[in-house]
Amino acid sequence: MQLKKIIFLSFISISTFLSAQKSETLIPKDAVTVFSINNINLLQKISIDELISYEFMEEIHQELFDGSTSGKTLKDAGLDFDQRFNIFYGKLDKCELSGFTFGIKNKQQLFSVFDDFEVIAYPNLNDAQVYQSFFNNLIIKDGAALLIRVEPSMESIDQVTDSIWYARGNENPYDYYEEVNEDVLNEEIYDENTQVENSFPDATLDPNEKNYNELRDSVQLVLQREQLDKILIQLFVQNDNLILLDPRFEAQLTHPVEGIFYMDNARNIDKSSGLWYFQTVLPSLYKNIQELYAGNLILGDLLLKDKSVEFAIEVLYGEKLGSIYTEMNSSQFDKQVLKYIPESSTAYFTYNINLRKAYEKAFEVIMPLLEQEKNAQIAMNVLTIELLNEFVNKDALFGTYKGSMFGSFNGIKKIKTKKIEFFYDEETFEYGEKEAEAEEDMPIFTVGFSIERNDIPEKVLKHLGRLTSKVKNMGNYWCFENAIFDSAPLYMINKNGLFIFTNDQDLALNHALGYGSKSINNVKFKNAKKSGFMYANLDVKTTLNRFPKDLLSPKQNEMIESLRGKSGSLELRSSKTTKEKTSLNLTYSFSGIEQSGKHLLDLINTIYVVSK
Amino acid sequence: MDELTIHDDGSGTLKYAINLSSSRVKVNSILALDSLDGKKVPSIEEIKTKVSLFKKTLILQNGISNISISENYTDFIFKFECDFTSIDLLQEGLRKSFSIISNEKTISESNFSWLSWDSKVLERSVPSIATNKLNGITENDLSLLKTGTYTSITRFDRGVERFDNPLSKLSKDKKALMLRADTYTLKEKPSLLENTIYLIPN
Repeated sequence: MQLKKIIFLSFISISTFLSAQKSETLIPKDAVTVFSINNINLLQKISIDELISYEFMEEIHQELFDGSTSGKTLKDAGLDFDQRFNIFYGKLDKCELSGFTFGIKNKQQLFSVFDDFEVIAYPNLNDAQVYQSFFNNLIIKDGAALLIRVEPSMESIDQVTDSIWYARGNENPYDYYEEVNEDVLNEEIYDENTQVENSFPDATLDPNEKNYNELRDSVQLVLQREQLDKILIQLFVQNDNLILLDPRFEAQLTHPVEGIFYMDNARNIDKSSGLWYFQTVLPSLYKNIQELYAGNLILGDLLLKDKSVEFAIEVLYGEKLGSIYTEMNSSQFDKQVLKYIPESSTAYFTYNINLRKAYEKAFEVIMPLLEQEKNAQIAMNVLTIELLNEFVNKDALFGTYKGSMFGSFNGIKKIKTKKIEFFYDEETFEYGEKEAEAEEDMPIFTVGFSIERNDIPEKVLKHLGRLTSKVKNMGNYWCFENAIFDSAPLYMINKNGLFIFTNDQDLALNHALGYGSKSINNVKFKNAKKSGFMYANLDVKTTLNRFPKDLLSPKQNEMIESLRGKSGSLELRSSKTTKEKTSLNLTYSFSGIEQSGKHLLDLINTIYVVSK
Repeated sequence: MDELTIHDDGSGTLKYAINLSSSRVKVNSILALDSLDGKKVPSIEEIKTKVSLFKKTLILQNGISNISISENYTDFIFKFECDFTSIDLLQEGLRKSFSIISNEKTISESNFSWLSWDSKVLERSVPSIATNKLNGITENDLSLLKTGTYTSITRFDRGVERFDNPLSKLSKDKKALMLRADTYTLKEKPSLLENTIYLIPN
């Protein structure tokens, strides 16, 4: 009986597993980043309105979401919750592709929610049906669907359009812009500009002949169709997909977790437009860079637990890069840093590397690659590096900056600044100005670096102090007045083998030797110490909700925004680095009764924002 | 702060000052960014260029002279002053100049008409272009508006007989009026600074 039960259960799991394979077989092989959600039952109750509010949904297929999707859930849309929901993104030389693949249980329900799609005739794709809505393409086959959008790059569209345009004997369509005088100093010129600025290239005399922009639109459509054809033939005729291309992705899909993440950095490097100079001018060096990045891949598992979501990441790399990382991360944890992180800190990180070993290994690995290059400029650079390597005192250099560091965010405090006040004579209303004390909110940060040669920054500060009265030796610390935004002082502490920068007056004045019993507790201490090269801990509610966005770059702000309003904590740990890989573990712990699926999406969204 | 002096012949002087010195940290931190809330943050050089273009444009407008602009990028205090021959030419000159520097071709006359003068009565309000800008301030920054003040002073050659806005204060010689409000209340109620001032007949 027991045996029968096992066989029955195995059969059930195998058949579930087999049917769960469908949607992921539609992921194009050109996808370089994939999120695959296995347990999409979690998402049943999440409304489509809520779903599209996430960043990872915002960038793609916005036109799909209108009145017909409002107030509906994924369940209403006829999705098959026994299949995976996959989100992918890829970049080719001349286009970008993005989309989803998912299972369909009820096609009628799907089209009642996404009602803008129209069926279109497409060359034989082995019975796959193709639907289109604006630039979105939906292809359905055997209960699985691919929703894909292909965007040719601006450069390729311009290149083809220009080529056709000039071959037809046309002149520069934007010539008249050169006539615009930018010094708009009087009404007459200004009025002329008003008419010109919003104009498009003129329509041609012959209505059958396209003007430049019309031609460009046509070229864009043709290129889109060309790329889409290529992808669809690969998928539905040649049955070629990402699973077949990369066995590591296939293996990742078998993990019994709620979701997986895949990002092929080696292919990202390949398609990186930033490397065009190397590709065209220094092809052999480019080949070497490619080899260096070979095998560079990030794989992740998303696990949903009772009160937490975990993201286990493996960063894989090739042997050469691995040898540099191994040396870089072979560093003893500097326990001194923990003395300077107060128990009250709501966010802190430690970063523990050996820059000298990393430099020596990188020199050993990278220099031979550069030496092979026959380019004169590269040869000069190699010579310069070789000479610096000989002449520079590396003991002093890496004794001053060893590579290990820490940082903490200690909340928002009022800091004293100066302001100019306007004051008024109460009888005549004549006004004057006077300087007065002011207070402004400022986030309190501390960043510290491990140092062996603390005499070197001391020398620098001593001489700076002689140059400007703004730099003062205060005994246990140095103070640089108005260093931050020309308004607030920066304090520097050179103690305990650490060189610390902070705008926290309390730390400089009262804790220059460390917080002692007020530093982080033993559990947190051990967690940081046990972690490999990196550890970070962040209380989401007390840190991100209060963090002033004016102080961050747009990308950092996007990440903060993706977590703003949430509660719980984030912890990032790393494992020991080997020549093959480094493992990282990100845990998002939460309390309360919010839906688990929502937390999963929150984390996916944050990872998406960080990785894009 | 604005200070408007109107002589009996309709000519006068407009002074306008913006004092951001109590937000130096915030202004400096914003200037350090490339963009904020999806909008590009200009560099100090770009601001200087705009100010210079504004001045050059205003010089060319009829009825406006003696333009002076001082820029203090340490304390973030900006002061503007100009003379005008009539209220209408002042408003029209400013409207055109703002249209050019802001690239907003749609600044209508109604958005830039906040003064009216008939040699006996002055009606003044706050230009809607300014209050519209206040409406764009995000929720997070609204509390900061409460710490700011707006002062409006109007001076005449002769005494003031009466005025409609009870929040106004008359100077000892009765030739000047002052109105003060915090910037948050002003955003909520732009009519706060509206006033009709009746002068003693000649």
